[in-house]
Amino acid sequence: MRRTGTHSPPMEELTLLKREVAKRVFAKELEACRELEKSSRLDFQADDPKSPNLLISPLGLILHRVFIVGVITELDSIGTQNDMWKARIVDPTGAFTIYAGQYQSDASVFFSTVQIPAFIALTGKVRIYEPEPESVFVSIRAEEANAVDEDIRNRWVVDTAEQTVERLEAFSDALASGYRGEKLREYLLDKGVSPELAEGISIILERERAPQEFAKLLRASIREGLKSLDFDSENTEGANADQKEFVLELLKEMGGYKGVDYGAFVDAAVSRGIPEEYVEEVVRSFLEDGQCYEPRIGIIRLVG
Amino acid sequence: MDEKIAPHLEELTRALGDIEETGIRAEFDKLLAYRVPPDVAKETILRKFGGKCKVLKVKDLSANLKSFEITGRILDLGEKSIRPQNGITPQEGVQEGSSKLYTGILADDTGSVSFSSWKELPGSIGDVISIRNAYTRIWQNRIRLSIGEHSLVSKVSDSSVPSLSELSGNQAKKIIDISAADFSVKAVASVLQLTHREVLVKGRQSKVVSGVLGDETGRLPFTAWIELPGIDIGSIILIEGAQIRVFRGMPSVNILSSTRISPVKPEESEKLAFNFESAGRDPLPLRMDEISSRDSMFDVAAVGNLISIRPGSGIISRCPECGRVIQKASCRVHGKVEGIRDMRIKAVLDDGTGSISVTFPRELAEAIYGKTLEEAEQLMLSDVSKDAVYEDLRRFLTGRCLAVRGNSSKSEYGTFFTAEKVWVPDDDLAVRVVELLHRLGQDEEDGQGIDAQDRDAQDRNSQPSNGGIDLA
Repeated sequence: MRRTGTHSPPMEELTLLKREVAKRVFAKELEACRELEKSSRLDFQADDPKSPNLLISPLGLILHRVFIVGVITELDSIGTQNDMWKARIVDPTGAFTIYAGQYQSDASVFFSTVQIPAFIALTGKVRIYEPEPESVFVSIRAEEANAVDEDIRNRWVVDTAEQTVERLEAFSDALASGYRGEKLREYLLDKGVSPELAEGISIILERERAPQEFAKLLRASIREGLKSLDFDSENTEGANADQKEFVLELLKEMGGYKGVDYGAFVDAAVSRGIPEEYVEEVVRSFLEDGQCYEPRIGIIRLVG
Repeated sequence: MDEKIAPHLEELTRALGDIEETGIRAEFDKLLAYRVPPDVAKETILRKFGGKCKVLKVKDLSANLKSFEITGRILDLGEKSIRPQNGITPQEGVQEGSSKLYTGILADDTGSVSFSSWKELPGSIGDVISIRNAYTRIWQNRIRLSIGEHSLVSKVSDSSVPSLSELSGNQAKKIIDISAADFSVKAVASVLQLTHREVLVKGRQSKVVSGVLGDETGRLPFTAWIELPGIDIGSIILIEGAQIRVFRGMPSVNILSSTRISPVKPEESEKLAFNFESAGRDPLPLRMDEISSRDSMFDVAAVGNLISIRPGSGIISRCPECGRVIQKASCRVHGKVEGIRDMRIKAVLDDGTGSISVTFPRELAEAIYGKTLEEAEQLMLSDVSKDAVYEDLRRFLTGRCLAVRGNSSKSEYGTFFTAEKVWVPDDDLAVRVVELLHRLGQDEEDGQGIDAQDRDAQDRNSQPSNGGIDLA
């Protein structure tokens, strides 16, 4: 008679050996994550200690491993024997808190040599610390880290924005459908949403009271983040300066010293072959360095 | 006694169906005869036969799957007598007198697969059967559905499985839908590559044609054991009754003497969704969750970040006889040998939707590392650390973005990818940003009829609050 212990494991257990995907997530979404109770999952197995502690974002993204690229702005050696590193890595939407200790020797060695500031790529696992109900700290325990160049950072921002926007779209779609629970999950699967995200969205919609709020905030943040990217900063500097000069001249020409309707100005610039995004960027830089200001919303005026 | 076990039997019937016919009742009684308490016996039976049983279709089958459920129509059925060798009894648990192996073909609407069974089946050609606790094996380079002692087979009288004539009519498949389990395949494809080789088969020199087939969905390698007159690169052909064999985890279309090949007429081929040019075009990068969802993919592309350079990357020694990687100048097959230096990189490439383990052979490793094998050897000799090259690779590569093209295959440890080409993606980020800004603006709640001015004002208004949260 066969012992039941020799019974072959079900397929799910075998797939646990697979490497976990490193999700792309912006700091703003990560810091808003909360713990995902194992009991809320579909394939919940009460006595399975192997399953990792997962987080869930307000948009239903289920997380454990992440891959981030950003600027390292702070680095502290902490712990009783200075055997722990704490770092802050900034992306266009916020900042990640990173820890690396003696068991993350690869990352620790890297942090002991890194210069600040620098572009950093980092893989790690998310952790949550909740000393009191209202204070939650989400951090990343580093696995591997390396210095990279600005192009890789820009690419990460665009990749992450694409994947986040895709999730935002699935999320809005889920809200608009009016379905909840199992029905919503099936609806999303039908729409080609991945099983994990479909599950995450249906879990989070049971929980969140004002689900749109965060989505709106994140949208605005990503939009700003994308606009702040500076592509090919070296080789097109000259061309940029020329276009900037041109935008300034156009502004003067349209009576910029008295105040110009911003919409009309953008239209005029676009009709002369300047991309809309670029006009917006130039005007923002003028606003920032005080060359012009906004006397009323929608009106820009040159100083002087 | 009967009163005690009756509720358990009832429960088993509820969970597993007819327990008398399938032999479960006998097994249960056997446990009781060994004085196993009835409730423990019931649980043992449930664990063995029941439990979570995935329902799969023929197209989902891959090598070494266990405990799944499948329903299909028997297209062919035969039996072989297996004589026990020198007193070795046939497989444990096989019912008395059944030293017979039943083999045949099972089909559903997604394909057909060959099967073997140690049990007599409760149906014959044309019947639909449902098998619980089926498993798969590789047999002669082909996937075979196995029905063993643990499997429960029942006949399904009323089923949505297409009729015998529809199934044996063999619907044409797209290349991407051809799976390793397919027994017989019909497809229309363009010949993208073709070479003639002479190989030794059973001591005889024979001509073999091999190459690559493609349509608008994908590509697959093929091997023809017969001559293909009039067919060359660029031909669009209809293949009927080809066999699928598994070679290094990859399905390969086998054209045998029983396979019918006919050229597609030009006026017919104009109606197809592809032509030679489009089928032969470089593959567009796929998302890694899509690549990982399939058992294997031939000649596909993917883009991601190198999130980890794995140990075993760098300079390695290979056995001169077999090419295996050797440790301490000793091959596990050929013993003490003079190793040949080689370089390779094994890395995890991840795009946020999935991850694949990529192996870069020497020429690709040299290209992405920017150092040749000789330069790497210099580094190895000039440094005290034996991991100097590995550490240097990690410093140089971790985090970088790469595009790869090659073949993927899945195992229980994940998806493995053999790179044949590698490059740094040079798509225009500015274009993607414009597209993203468009998508982000589009479903703004009050986005309709809004002009650039208001939208921009809104953005600027929301800025201070973002800043506040970022700093918090």
